[in-house]
Amino acid sequence: MEIKIEHISKIEGHTGFIADIADGQIKKVHMDVKEGARLLEGILRDRSIYEVSHITARICGVCPVVHTFASLKALEAALDIEISEQTKLLRRLMMMGQIINSHALHLFFFSLPDFLGFDKDLAMVKKHPQRAQEALAMREFGNLLVEVIGGRSIHPLTPTIGGFLKLPDKKKLHHLLDISTKALADAAKLAELFIKLKYPEFIRSAPYTSLHAAREYAFYDGFIKTPSDEKVSPAEFMPIIKEYQLANSVVKRAQYQGKPYMVGALSRLNNNHVQLNPKAKQYLKKAKLHLPSFNPFHNIPAQAIEIVHCIEEARALLRQIMPKPLTINDIEQQNELVKDKLGALKGTASAVGTVEAPRGTLYYFYELGGDGKIKNCNIITPTSQNLARLERDLEEYLPRLLKGGSKKETEQKIKMLVRAYDPCLTCAAH
Amino acid sequence: MKKDNSYVRNSHEFPPFAYNKKPVIAIVSLTCCEGCQVAILDLGARFLELAEKITIGNFGFLEEEPSAQRYDIIFVEGSPITEENIARLKDLRARSKYLVALGACAMLGGIAEIKNYQDKDERLRYVYKNFEGINNPDIKPLSHYVKVDLVIPGCPINKEEFLQAAKNLLAGVPVQLPQQPVCYECQIKQNYCLLQKGQPCLGPIMLGGCGAVCPSNAYPCDGCRGPLKDVNPQKLNQQLAEQGFTEEEVKLILQRFGVQDSVYPKLTDKQV
Repeated sequence: MEIKIEHISKIEGHTGFIADIADGQIKKVHMDVKEGARLLEGILRDRSIYEVSHITARICGVCPVVHTFASLKALEAALDIEISEQTKLLRRLMMMGQIINSHALHLFFFSLPDFLGFDKDLAMVKKHPQRAQEALAMREFGNLLVEVIGGRSIHPLTPTIGGFLKLPDKKKLHHLLDISTKALADAAKLAELFIKLKYPEFIRSAPYTSLHAAREYAFYDGFIKTPSDEKVSPAEFMPIIKEYQLANSVVKRAQYQGKPYMVGALSRLNNNHVQLNPKAKQYLKKAKLHLPSFNPFHNIPAQAIEIVHCIEEARALLRQIMPKPLTINDIEQQNELVKDKLGALKGTASAVGTVEAPRGTLYYFYELGGDGKIKNCNIITPTSQNLARLERDLEEYLPRLLKGGSKKETEQKIKMLVRAYDPCLTCAAH
Repeated sequence: MKKDNSYVRNSHEFPPFAYNKKPVIAIVSLTCCEGCQVAILDLGARFLELAEKITIGNFGFLEEEPSAQRYDIIFVEGSPITEENIARLKDLRARSKYLVALGACAMLGGIAEIKNYQDKDERLRYVYKNFEGINNPDIKPLSHYVKVDLVIPGCPINKEEFLQAAKNLLAGVPVQLPQQPVCYECQIKQNYCLLQKGQPCLGPIMLGGCGAVCPSNAYPCDGCRGPLKDVNPQKLNQQLAEQGFTEEEVKLILQRFGVQDSVYPKLTDKQV
């Protein structure tokens, strides 16, 4: 027997699903990714260090901010360029916008219809106009955070090596703080909705990793926290992620210590819930998730809780940024510094840049030469890391679905689990 | 050999839709970042309003299954890279009255086209150990494979421009994209001129309509909307050369969204 889903909609990118079953035993479960190969790591070679973050942003139209920052962080680390406190605050604020807008898209438009029983989102929007409005308001708030600082919400323009080309207008930052009160109220309502949904009881054992920092719920900086270690640097961790490619697959899968593992909102919540902001903590308590949770469906409420956290965090960051005057780096001076650093290079320089993307830890490795060109590059996206874990989960989840459910119900449950992971095949294939 | 600068700005054969019922629309993506679809969703309530006036026959972001077989208007983003992408594009074209290419990938090739200017097979082998089964064609705009009736340019598209075009199409009014350079809107915004400051801004030869969003953010125009019709790049080339930019540097920028082959369509590589 074979279960085959040609195309799974309401995710980013294109994938099908195939399971081979013989005598009630699952022989093979395979996510059949149908993206074209854009060869990002290849085409970045011989390109200038000043443009690569703009090219990598285009890996994903949903999460361009994290591709921009992981790219810039790797370049800055390779050139040993320190960024100012102000730059760091503004980048962290932009990151909050990114997490909010991406989670809102996934929660409301991709996953919620599975729980409320809608095939078509627009039918759901008609039935629940108030909810739709809250979700759209959430997305708009996230987009605006990115746009005010980055110049544009999809493929931001201002971030550059060492800082920003242009700084945000303070009036717009004030406006963001003003509307954040309502955004927080909307986020709270969405969180209420998502923590009350009934998630399938599917508990399995799986390693999970994320960034971790002592002082904050880590998105922009931190160590890699695994079940056995709290303090591995991303530069140490990236090389021990074993990427492998199945025949004919444009997507690489990944293992760590020989096992598939999970990244993303649930992994972050498991690792970092102590660092959540107060209101997010309240919703975590209400959600009764019992952390660490080993139910992958809990990735959904974890995202809802993170939205609340990120809006609280954005408000705190805005309050930190606004009292001080914003000072722009002299761009020519900055370019001179980069030139000096490149000139002083003996051979090549390389480094790793890491951030938490909405879907999990995102790793960039660059090796660059004194000519200011990329020599080598590797990118490991969250979905590449999650894919093998998702397949293993489906393998473990399928037997119980096969007991009794109709073909349609089984397929719906498979899609529901796939969407709980919030996969982005566009990122994974890059 | 036919050069692929033949992307279409506006079709002369505007279809007289018979609007006795709601037109059936599809929004689909080939290989790309899907940012143009995201831009459409970012219209928020205005997208929902638009959706009231149409029947959505296929939109993978919001619907489980395609609910229609034939479409009045289809919007396509992304590059055709896999054989499946190409077959799908041709099939969708055959089932649609009017096809709109969305964004730089569909219009010009987009960032995936960078490999056309490199040793693409070496690039493939660099990324994949098992490369035999992976399609690696030269990246071409949609117009290389099918007839394109309208192009909405940009990386990503300007969502306001999309909305206006969609409204026009639904009202049966032809869509006009004014042939004005990026500089036109940049000057209205009273931005300081990046080109005059010595930066490699391609604003003078590139199609505006983006609100000059890049130079307004101190980022020089890199031509994601493609060149103006019949533009002569020589004057800008000369200025960039005088400002100390090498030919190679200018080419790298023109390659970013796949513009090099449309800015220099008649010249061989050696002459550029």
